[in-house]
Amino acid sequence: MTFTTVAAPRSYARTPRRGPVTRLLEDERWLAIVLLLPTVVLLGLFIAYPFIKGIMLSVTDTKVGVPGHFVGLQNFVNVWHDGIFRVAVWNTCIYTAIATIFKLALGLWLAVLLNNNFKGKAFTRAFILLPFIIPTVLSTLAWKWMFDPTFSVINWGLYRLGIIDHRINWLGDPDLALISVIIVNVWRGVPFFAISLLAGLQTISPELHEAAAIDGARAWQRFRHVTWPLLLPVTLVVMLFSVIQTFADFQLVYVLTGGGPANATQLFSTYAYQIGIGTGLLSQGATISLAVFPVLLVVVIVQLFYIRKAETH
Amino acid sequence: MVRINRRRLLQLSGAGAATAAAGGLAGILASSRAPAYGQTTNLHWVRWSDYVPASDQLLRNKIVPDGEKALGIKIQFETINANDIQARVTSSIQSGSGPDIIMAVNNWPQLYATSLADVSDVAEEIGNAQGGYYDMCKTVGIYGGKWIGVPWAIGGGLVVYRKSWLAEAGYEKFPVTWDQWHDAGRKLKAAGHPIGQTLGHTFGDASGFWYPYLWSWGGKEVEADGKTVALNSKETIESVKFAVPFWNDCCDPGGLAWDDSSNNRAFLSGTISATNNGASIYLEAKKKPDMYLTDKGTAMKDDISHAPLGTGAGGHFALPGPFIDMVMGYSKNQKAAKDFLRWVHSKPVFEEWFTSQQGYTDGATKYWEKDPVWDKDPVMLPFRDLPNSARLMGYAGPPNQKAAEVQTKYIIVDMYAKAVQGMPAEDAVKWATGELTKVYA
Amino acid sequence: MIEGASWRRWVFFYVPLTAFIVGLLFPFYWMVITTVRPDNELYRPWNAPNYAPFWTTHPTLEHIKDLLTETLFTTWLLNTMIIALSATIISLFCGLLAGYALSRLKFPLAGALGTGIFITYLVPQTLLFIPLADIIRNFRLGDSPWALILTYPTFLIPFCTWLMMGYFKSIPKELEECARIDGATRWKAMLFIIFPIAVPGILSAGIFAFTLSWNEFIYALVFLSSPDEKTVPVGVTSELIRGDVFYWGELMAGALLGSIPVAFVYSFFVEHYVASVTGSVKG
Repeated sequence: MTFTTVAAPRSYARTPRRGPVTRLLEDERWLAIVLLLPTVVLLGLFIAYPFIKGIMLSVTDTKVGVPGHFVGLQNFVNVWHDGIFRVAVWNTCIYTAIATIFKLALGLWLAVLLNNNFKGKAFTRAFILLPFIIPTVLSTLAWKWMFDPTFSVINWGLYRLGIIDHRINWLGDPDLALISVIIVNVWRGVPFFAISLLAGLQTISPELHEAAAIDGARAWQRFRHVTWPLLLPVTLVVMLFSVIQTFADFQLVYVLTGGGPANATQLFSTYAYQIGIGTGLLSQGATISLAVFPVLLVVVIVQLFYIRKAETH
Repeated sequence: MVRINRRRLLQLSGAGAATAAAGGLAGILASSRAPAYGQTTNLHWVRWSDYVPASDQLLRNKIVPDGEKALGIKIQFETINANDIQARVTSSIQSGSGPDIIMAVNNWPQLYATSLADVSDVAEEIGNAQGGYYDMCKTVGIYGGKWIGVPWAIGGGLVVYRKSWLAEAGYEKFPVTWDQWHDAGRKLKAAGHPIGQTLGHTFGDASGFWYPYLWSWGGKEVEADGKTVALNSKETIESVKFAVPFWNDCCDPGGLAWDDSSNNRAFLSGTISATNNGASIYLEAKKKPDMYLTDKGTAMKDDISHAPLGTGAGGHFALPGPFIDMVMGYSKNQKAAKDFLRWVHSKPVFEEWFTSQQGYTDGATKYWEKDPVWDKDPVMLPFRDLPNSARLMGYAGPPNQKAAEVQTKYIIVDMYAKAVQGMPAEDAVKWATGELTKVYA
Repeated sequence: MIEGASWRRWVFFYVPLTAFIVGLLFPFYWMVITTVRPDNELYRPWNAPNYAPFWTTHPTLEHIKDLLTETLFTTWLLNTMIIALSATIISLFCGLLAGYALSRLKFPLAGALGTGIFITYLVPQTLLFIPLADIIRNFRLGDSPWALILTYPTFLIPFCTWLMMGYFKSIPKELEECARIDGATRWKAMLFIIFPIAVPGILSAGIFAFTLSWNEFIYALVFLSSPDEKTVPVGVTSELIRGDVFYWGELMAGALLGSIPVAFVYSFFVEHYVASVTGSVKG
C-alpha cells in the first residue's frame, strides 16, 4: 500500500518525559482496557440487563402485568408449531436476502459513479443521502401514498407510458406487496451503502489504479483485481450490519402494510410486536424475537468468517 | 389541532371554549406545560389523538385547566397516535411507572386487568347518575366483579354512502340484506363506483366490518363458555362463500391493502360509493363543502348518508370501540386520578366534550342518546343507535386476551382475505379454526 | 475514470447516475409536491382527467405554516438535533476507541469481546424496549433527553466499533511502527497517526449513527411523554395522524423541513472527508 507517503512529520516525535500513566498505556493490555471501558460500561448497563431479561421472559408465561412461571421451552415449541410464525420467518429471510443483494449491487455501482469527478459532485453526494435521512415513519408514508390503489402516481406513470391498462394493486396483491416493501427498503438502504463504499473507495490510492492502467488493465479488470479486494473488508462489514438491520426491520413494514394482506408481508419483528404489545403476551413476543436468533447467528457467523478470510487474505 | 382556527374552535365546542381562544394555538399547545399553581399532586393523562382535533383542543385548553383549578392539582395532558398507545401501556406497566390515567380503546382494559386500579366507586356513581352504561361498556369495563376503568364514550362505524349513486342503482335507501348489497354493489361497480372495504391488516376498519359481517350470518368465534371454538360452522362457511363473489363483484380490489385512512381518501375523492367507517368522512366533507364535490359539482356532503351494516340470518351488528379511562395500578396518585375522573366524567364537563364531537362518538351511558347534539344534523342521527347493535370481539365469549390475540393476528380478517385470494371457503374456515384453536387452547 | 469516446461517458456514467438520482429522489420530490399542493388537489384519483401528479398550479405554503405555527415542530426539531448529536458523539467516541483496541492491540479475550459487542446488535429493539423501561425508571431518566442520549448508543456503538475496525485494518501496521521507532508513545501514535487517516471512516460512521438516532421511533415514543420533549418522528405522527384522518401536507412538510438541513450538513462532511483523504494521500 502507498500510505507511507501519508504522514508528514509532526510534533509527536520527541516526547521529553513520560509519566506513569503514559508508561502504563504503553502496555497493550492496559491500553486495551482503557479504550474498551466506555463501550463495555455503556453496553453492559443498557443492553446486558434487558437482554437477559428478554431471555428470561421467553422461558416463562409472562403476560403484561402478570408475572409468569417457568415453562421451559414450551413457548418455543408453540412458536415452532405456529403457521404464521413460519410464514413470518420465511418472509423475513426473503426480504433480507433480496433487499441486501440489491442494496449491495446498486450501492456499489452508485459509489463507483460518485467516485468520479463531475460538476455538482458535493451536492449530489449529499442529496443522494436524503432517502436515508428522512425519518422512516414519514418517508414510508410518502411511499404509501405513491403505492395507494386509488392515487398511485406509479400507476399513473406506467399507464401514461402505455405499459399497463389497469391499475396495479401494489400493496394488495400478496407477491407485489412483498416486492413493494423490498423496493422501499432498497430505496432507503442504497444511499448508505453508496456513501460507506465511497469512503472505502476514497482510501484506495489512485496511484494503484494508474499503475494497473500502465500495465494495460482495462477498467473492469482494474475494478476486479485492484478496487474490489481492497474494498472487500469495508463492504463485508457494511453488508453484515445491513443484513442484521434488514432482518430486524420493523417500522417500514408496520407503517406500509401492517404485515398484510393475509400475512404476505409479515416479518418476525412485526409479528413479535403484534403478539407482545398488541396482545400483551410478552413471553410469546420475546420468544418470537429470540427464536430467529439462531437463524441470524448462522448468517452472521458465515459473514464473520468471510470477513476474517478477507482480512487475512 | 391543525386547521382549527379560533373561530372554528368556538363554533365546534360552543360558548364553553371561550377561554381557550386566548393566546393563539401555539400558545395553547405550549400551555400543556401547565402553569405552576404550586399544587403538589401531578397527574399524567394519556389519550389518543382524537379524530376531531377540536375535541383535543377543548380538553387541552379548557377542560384540563378547569380541572386543575377545580381540584387543585396539576395535570399533564398528552395525546398520542392510537396505534402507539399499547406500547406505552405495556412498558409503563412492566416498569411500574408512567401515566396515571390512560384512555384505552377496544377491549384493552381486559388485557391489562390485573394492573389497573379498582374504580368501581367512580364508575358506579357516573353510571347511576347518567342512566346506566351500555352492556358493551360493562363487558369491557368490569373484570372479576370490579370496574377497572371508567367508560368515557363509544366510537363506531356505519356505512357511509353516496345517495345519488345508490339511487342510480335503483336503491332509494341503502340495501338491508346481503343479497341486496350484492345486487346494489354489482350495479355500482359496473357504473364505476365500487363499494370500498379494507381486507388488510389495519387497526380499526378491517375488524369493524368483518366481525359484524361474520355475526350477521350467525357465525361466531367461540361458544359462550369462552373456550369451545365454534368458528367452523355452516354459517361461517356460508359467509365466506358469499364474501368471495361479493368482493369480486362489488368491491374495490385495492381494499386488500387499505389502512384506516385509505377508504376515507377513496370516498372523498369520489372513487367509491360506500364504505364502512366512522363519521370522519362525512364530517370532513361537511367541514370543507367547497373542496369535496360530486361529479355534478355540488357539495359532496349533501350527497352523503349513513346506514347500518347488512343484515343476515343472524341479524345485524356493529363492532364499536369503547373508550375507557384506566387508572393505572402503579400510580401513586390513584385518589387524585379518581377524583379527576369523577369530575371530568360528570354531566356538565363531559357535555362540553361530547358536543364538540358532533355525534362522532356516543356516550357511554344511555343518557346521551337524548342530547341535543343529535338534533343538529339528521345525517349523523344513525350513529346514536349504534351501541344497541354492538357486539365485541370474541363473541360469544368475553372480549378477553384470547379474543385480542385473534384480532391482533387478524385471523378473522385473513380468513376472508385468503378466500378472496383464491383459497376454497372450507379451507379458509379450517385454517382460521385451527389458528383459533391454538389461541384458545 | 471513464476514458475514451464521449458516448462511453454517457452510457457508463451520465445515464446510470441520472437514473440513480431520479430513482432515489423521486419520492423526495413527491413529498415536496404533496407539501405545497392545496388540499383539494390531494384527493384526486390516479385516473382522473385532471390528475397532475408532478406539479401543481396553485402551490401553497399553508401546510408549512400550519406545521410551524400550530405544532411544536421547531421544538421537536431542536430536541431531535440535540439528542441525535449527543448520541452520535458518545457512540463515535466509544466506537473509535474500542475499534482501535480490537483491531490493533493484542490482549486476551479480544475476539470474544469483539463478538460480544457485536451480539448486542443482534437483539431486536422490539424486544429490548420493555425491560429497558425498567432501567430508565431506576435511573430516573424518564421524560428527559438523557433517556435517549444514553440508550441510542446501545445500537450505534456496535456498528461504529465494527466499521472502525474495518477501516483500521486497512491501514498498514508499518505506519504506526515507524512512528513508534521515532519515539512516539502508543497513545500518541494512535491519536496522531491512525485517527487522522481514519477520518473518512469516522465520518461515515458518524453519518450512520446520526441518521439512526434521527430516525428512531420506539424508544422515543416510550421514554418521552411531554409534548415539548418529543422528537420529530414521534411528535409529527402523534399530532398529525388522528385515527383515520391523516394531515398529509403537514406530515410531508415535517419530513422535509427536518431532513433538508441535515442533508446540507452532510454535504459539508462528505466533502470534508473526501478532501481529507485525497489530501492525505497526496501528502
